[in-house]
Amino acid sequence: MAEPVAMSACARAITAEEAAFRIDYPLAYARSTRIVAFDESAEAVMRGIADEPWGQARFYTVNATGEQLVTLDGEAVPMAQEIEHSDSVIMLATNGIKADAVAAVGMAARERAIMTAGLLFVDDGELRGETLMAIRPHARILLVPAEHEDLYQLLVAIRA
Amino acid sequence: MLRPDINDLLTQTGPGTPMGDLFRRYWQPVLHTDELPEDGCPPVRAKILSERLIAVRTPEGEYGLMDEFCAHRGVSLFFGRVEEQGIRCPYHGWKYDANGQAIDVPSELNNSEFCANVKLRSYPLVKVGDILWTYMGDPEKQPPLPTWEFATVPSGQTYTSKRIQESNWLQALEGGIDSSHVTWLHGGGPKGTGLEADPLFAGSRGNKYNAGDVKPFFEVVENEGGLLIGARRNAEEGHYYWRVTPWVLPNFTMVPPRGDHPMHGHFWVPIDDENCWAWSFDYHPTRDLTEAEREAMIAGAGVHSKNIPGTYRPVANSENDYLINREKQKTGEWFSGVEGIAIQDSSLQESMGPIVDRTKERLVATDAGIIKARQKLRRAVEALRDKAEEPVGNVPEHQRIRSVAIVLPADQPFVEGIGDAFQAREGVGQTTV
Ligand code: FES
Ligand SMILES: [Fe+2]
Repeated sequence: MAEPVAMSACARAITAEEAAFRIDYPLAYARSTRIVAFDESAEAVMRGIADEPWGQARFYTVNATGEQLVTLDGEAVPMAQEIEHSDSVIMLATNGIKADAVAAVGMAARERAIMTAGLLFVDDGELRGETLMAIRPHARILLVPAEHEDLYQLLVAIRA
Repeated sequence: MLRPDINDLLTQTGPGTPMGDLFRRYWQPVLHTDELPEDGCPPVRAKILSERLIAVRTPEGEYGLMDEFCAHRGVSLFFGRVEEQGIRCPYHGWKYDANGQAIDVPSELNNSEFCANVKLRSYPLVKVGDILWTYMGDPEKQPPLPTWEFATVPSGQTYTSKRIQESNWLQALEGGIDSSHVTWLHGGGPKGTGLEADPLFAGSRGNKYNAGDVKPFFEVVENEGGLLIGARRNAEEGHYYWRVTPWVLPNFTMVPPRGDHPMHGHFWVPIDDENCWAWSFDYHPTRDLTEAEREAMIAGAGVHSKNIPGTYRPVANSENDYLINREKQKTGEWFSGVEGIAIQDSSLQESMGPIVDRTKERLVATDAGIIKARQKLRRAVEALRDKAEEPVGNVPEHQRIRSVAIVLPADQPFVEGIGDAFQAREGVGQTTV
């Protein structure tokens, strides 16, 4: 019944320790994670963790149309250009979400095959349908409701 | 990526470890009732949460679960002789009752006084459904008996199997939560025939939505006992097809149903830090399983596995590279080349090593569900350890849960759309398409 697979048999570990062995070399950071807050309350959550020593993550707010991202220092930059070389865009929102802006960013990410995740903070306890509808089509995965700490944990986990 | 200390925290479940303490606040499945089939039957070894135990059923019908090793000189009581009221060690004849209390030490003159001081560590072993459950924590904190629907419907409506998995429990659990692997690992064949090929999934309308939209979106929603993970795909105009997987802390997950097929799910129970039991159940809330369904389950279809007769080790296992079929892998008939959902999962989860080094992961944003689940586990462990905070998931309110498959209008939060379809309700069928 058992068909031995001789050729790769030398790769079969004997002890648990050996089985767990992995070549040890440094892992690359994620590439240009962009975190965009789509309203003021979300921005506050973002500012709460933006000062951590991240590898390459960059944090933004956004104008009403989504065409401009605004860095934490207040500098406006063209959105499409800013996400161009990113591998993931993380969208933060609460009930005050700017629907047009999230659609513009979401579309730009989709066109460039950039991964998207959304964190929807519902601090006032009530999730509104229009908020959900605004972000739902644009975040491949959506945490709803998200806790503030989820943002930090997510960025740590993806080596942002 | 996960810090090494947190990886240790979540993966170690032996006595005295923080995660071990959390697990010891829940009833966990230990044996199928068939393993102790009649009064006075032979004892069975059971290792759980790194404790080696022996399960007995006395001639009087009392179940017991105790330290595997005789208090005298450490002989395994697997070799013991089941006698009235208990089990006798064959080496020098010490005898224990079902609670591990020594009741006869023939070599001692003052027998009863000596006995009073000898007791093996023991735990309750209780039959609920076709499963024998144990609770290994502080007796004062013992929660109500388990009320999971699969274990409380009449016997004819439910079937449970188990298989040993050579990996830490968390690897197995994460597979149950990680819905994004389903279209890959469990995919295959031209457009969804993977599902259609299995008698326990075939013929559901949901299969068409699955095949028609292979890049689902996910929503992860907080739930009282854990999380709900919704995978949505396009359905008819203006609608989404939702498949919702509940996770209840620490180690219970359910797979969303397909058509009127029985619904299924898993318990991922640590044996020790490098092995776990994958318990797999299938049940229908309102009708008996058909003969054909039961036969398919016994044969290893669906979430079950084909095991080596007389054991719980799958026929396809690490020794034979899970009988991977490179031809079928190449043609795509089985995307992974491995047959059957259970072994598709175990082959890859075991391939990660007994305890995967999570510092070496390269997680991506769409792994947010797994990241969230780890965070919840960690928080539950730390809250219990540091603040003696009561865990969730060990009370009936959190256990009367179901997975759901449903088509909803595009603008509806799935939790709202599903309503009480998440609730296990006696006599009410599952919500499914
Ligand atoms: S070892 Fe069991 S009675 Fe001596
Ligand atoms: Fe799987």
